[in-house]
Amino acid sequence: MPSAGLKTIIALSFVLAVGFLLVILSCALWKVYYPLLVVATYVLAPVPNWICGRCANPDDFVESSGGNAVLDLGRFCTGFMVVMGIALPAVLAHSHLIEMGAMVMCVIGGLLIYGTIISFGMFFQEEQEF
Amino acid sequence: MEEDRLWKFRKPAWLNSAWARNTGVYGAGALFSLAFYVLIDSAVWSHSPLNGSDVHVTFVDWLPFIFSSLGMLIINSVEKARLSADSFSYSGSGVAWKARIVLFLGFAALAGGMAGGVVVFVLKFVVPEVGWPMMGMGVENVVANALVGLSSVVLWISQNMEDEYSYNLSL
Repeated sequence: MPSAGLKTIIALSFVLAVGFLLVILSCALWKVYYPLLVVATYVLAPVPNWICGRCANPDDFVESSGGNAVLDLGRFCTGFMVVMGIALPAVLAHSHLIEMGAMVMCVIGGLLIYGTIISFGMFFQEEQEF
Repeated sequence: MEEDRLWKFRKPAWLNSAWARNTGVYGAGALFSLAFYVLIDSAVWSHSPLNGSDVHVTFVDWLPFIFSSLGMLIINSVEKARLSADSFSYSGSGVAWKARIVLFLGFAALAGGMAGGVVVFVLKFVVPEVGWPMMGMGVENVVANALVGLSSVVLWISQNMEDEYSYNLSL
């Protein structure tokens, strides 16, 4: 990806800081610290993909499903985690464990954090995909 | 492969891309997560102060979900290429036959889970005429099992796409 320089890093870190701000604010304003789980979820979300990407055999060009099933498992887990980051605040808000405003802030903040992680991975990965 | 085609319409080209397949797998994970959290939501709500009644989510409500997840795991663990008996060299030791048996068990577990969700909904919530906000727990049970079924359908379809895709590559 061309022109991923200093400005990209600054913009990404700014967005990351805003995301963390929203999540921490959603906890601290109501003094209920459940929404911090969302940060953990989104940080852990790309991990299955990375691990399974390592486990799969990259030389397997005609992908007989040995390596590919592992890749699919990683994608499945990542999809699970991403929706978990939205569903967890919704569950908490539905049972009035957190307020509705906290839910909205926490979901937006979580999406910003996850977007940062994903775009960081996209900008700065080595050209090895496919 | 052209003369082996069964259907009149051929699949659109974008369906065979790696992108569509990956999106399908991510989507299956997302749907499964949605199902899981719908059920978690009913359990959490049932033990929150909002639930005024004495109807609670117990292990019985989880049982259909466990069965349909088990079915989904079995269905999507079976190697699809072994399923056709006329695939060369694998029909000898009866692998296709075994695969069909296992697949049948998987589908039975999935359908049984969905039916069990409906059973729990009817026997625990409809027949005793539970009031509406509590009725939501039963509805969520049915929705969760339906979502697991949908998720396994999406996963199955995107795994079948993979075969076509790898075939195109190997050509």
